[in-house]
Amino acid sequence: MIALTDRFGQAVAALRDNRLRTALSVLGIAIGIAAVMIVSTISRGGNHLVFSELQTFGLNSAWIYRDWDNDSPLERRREGSGIDSRDIAALQAARGELGIRHLSPIVQDYGEPSARRGGRFANVQLIGASVAYPDIVNDTLLGGRRLMHHDVAQRLPAALVAPEVIAKLFDDGEDPLGRTIEVGERRVRIVGLLAGKSRDFLSSIGSAGGQNANDRIVVPWTWLQRVRGDRAVDHLHIAVEDFDRAGQTADGIAQLLARRHDGLFNYTRETMATYIATTDSILSGVAIVGTIAASVSLLVGGMGIMNMMGIAVLERTREIGLRRAVGARRRDILWQFLIEAALISLVGGLLGLAIGAVISLIVVWLTGFPLLPSVPIIVGALLVSVLVGVLSGLLPARRAAKLEPVIALRAD
Amino acid sequence: MIALRGVTKTYRSGQLVVPVLHGIELAVAAGEFVAIMGASGSGKSTLLNVIGCLDTIDAGEYALDGENVSVLDDDGLARVRGARIGFVFQGFNLIARTSAVRNVALPMLYAGIGAEARRTRALDMLERVGLADRAEHVPTELSGGQQQRVAIARALVNDPDVIVADEPTGSLDSATGHEIMNVFDQLHAAGRTVVMVTHEDDIAARAARIVRLQDGRIVDDRTASVA
Repeated sequence: MIALTDRFGQAVAALRDNRLRTALSVLGIAIGIAAVMIVSTISRGGNHLVFSELQTFGLNSAWIYRDWDNDSPLERRREGSGIDSRDIAALQAARGELGIRHLSPIVQDYGEPSARRGGRFANVQLIGASVAYPDIVNDTLLGGRRLMHHDVAQRLPAALVAPEVIAKLFDDGEDPLGRTIEVGERRVRIVGLLAGKSRDFLSSIGSAGGQNANDRIVVPWTWLQRVRGDRAVDHLHIAVEDFDRAGQTADGIAQLLARRHDGLFNYTRETMATYIATTDSILSGVAIVGTIAASVSLLVGGMGIMNMMGIAVLERTREIGLRRAVGARRRDILWQFLIEAALISLVGGLLGLAIGAVISLIVVWLTGFPLLPSVPIIVGALLVSVLVGVLSGLLPARRAAKLEPVIALRAD
Repeated sequence: MIALRGVTKTYRSGQLVVPVLHGIELAVAAGEFVAIMGASGSGKSTLLNVIGCLDTIDAGEYALDGENVSVLDDDGLARVRGARIGFVFQGFNLIARTSAVRNVALPMLYAGIGAEARRTRALDMLERVGLADRAEHVPTELSGGQQQRVAIARALVNDPDVIVADEPTGSLDSATGHEIMNVFDQLHAAGRTVVMVTHEDDIAARAARIVRLQDGRIVDDRTASVA
């Protein structure tokens, strides 16, 4: 038996003999593996980024609101949002049955309100919501407290305020908690500080994330109703119990509302689940295209190895004959060339990972994508590279092993 | 040591059937030094390849040291070549860009001998052919005569039963050729069995026995009287 170390020693020696050609073949594989790794890093990073931003809306979210587009003559005469305070109580009672985990009526001030304090000024979104609202949209508090049931019940002007508003109205080091600010014509008291949220990526690719989460002021919906002087709820924002049944839950709510309003209104339902499905299919489409492109470059690398090994077998025909003459069996020759091919691609794979890592870091640095190294992908890339090498080496190696010693020794 | 009985070999090239060896009967005793001569195309190289187990035969029988090697499969022939045959070629056939000591050690790799033992024994062999100081030189740094000495050291390294030499002086100038023949003489004197193909009369004359081939048949087989 020939020791494995000896087999590798022979292969390394042969590869060292042809440094330039070895280096080029290694590079071919390295580029392929680097491409695979970069595609996977970017697609994983992009995925993570998109989902972490979608999370700022609440992954279990669903929205239900009146379908305003239906402009039949009859429909146009109907006024109001189709949702009111009494509906909320009815929905709260039917939560378990409908599969609602959290429910918040949303009352908004669409008058582009501004917040003022002293001489300072900030454009804000004023959102009237329930105590469950932070749980629905995954808001966390930097300080203070959440809205409480008595805030809602007594229609108190308690406010949760997002960081950009705080930054515009307060000096650094000033404690905003307990302070009063003016919003529109009213004064609200800051009881909680919302943590910042990033929707930069979503905003950068489209209107989906157009709403800035960091200029919100969240107040009890009942208080905002009183300010507006009506009992209307603009829309419902819920978190469903079961992500996979988000559509059914939203439908159930719409039916209940329709029933309560004697079928006067139609309701539109939006669920995060459908947005996620869309996003998922777009992202995986991008990933597939990228993976195919990367695979092609890996394939080209493999063909480089095949070419190099083919030339090596031709060039070293006499050497093969000599080895056979001094006792090498066919399989010893086969092993020698296979190991050479596998070594080239393994080294190429390692180099490719290094190149991929550097380029990924550059991409991270340029785009702010999170870097998500994946052990299975790294291990997989190495296995694939060795596999590519062995497969590419197989044909030339078999040709070498099949050579008749007498004929091989006669080669020029 | 070598017993060929009725050995026949034919090359087929398309429709053309070219007989190369015709019922060769040849016995070589252990310790003999035999030169095979003959015109180009006489079948002398094929006969040598058959003796060296590099080539197979179509009919007849070949026994090497009592073992019928004509029935062996490819792996079996590889084993016999590695363990019992030592080859010396006209073109030296050293592996390029590989040191003399590594070239000499090569047959031991396929015999499954460990790396340290390989090196020790290869250095020992190089010393015997007078090249101890060239062990780390690659073939291009060695003269033709030196390269052939490395090749002889390689042929001897597994202590084979038979040394098979195909025009070992064919690529060398006359003086160097005779130096190499001196090495063969020493091997012969030490009791080694040597079979050599040559077309040079003066080289053949160094052998004790000359076998002549013509059209695949042995036409002359004479042993020189002891000088």
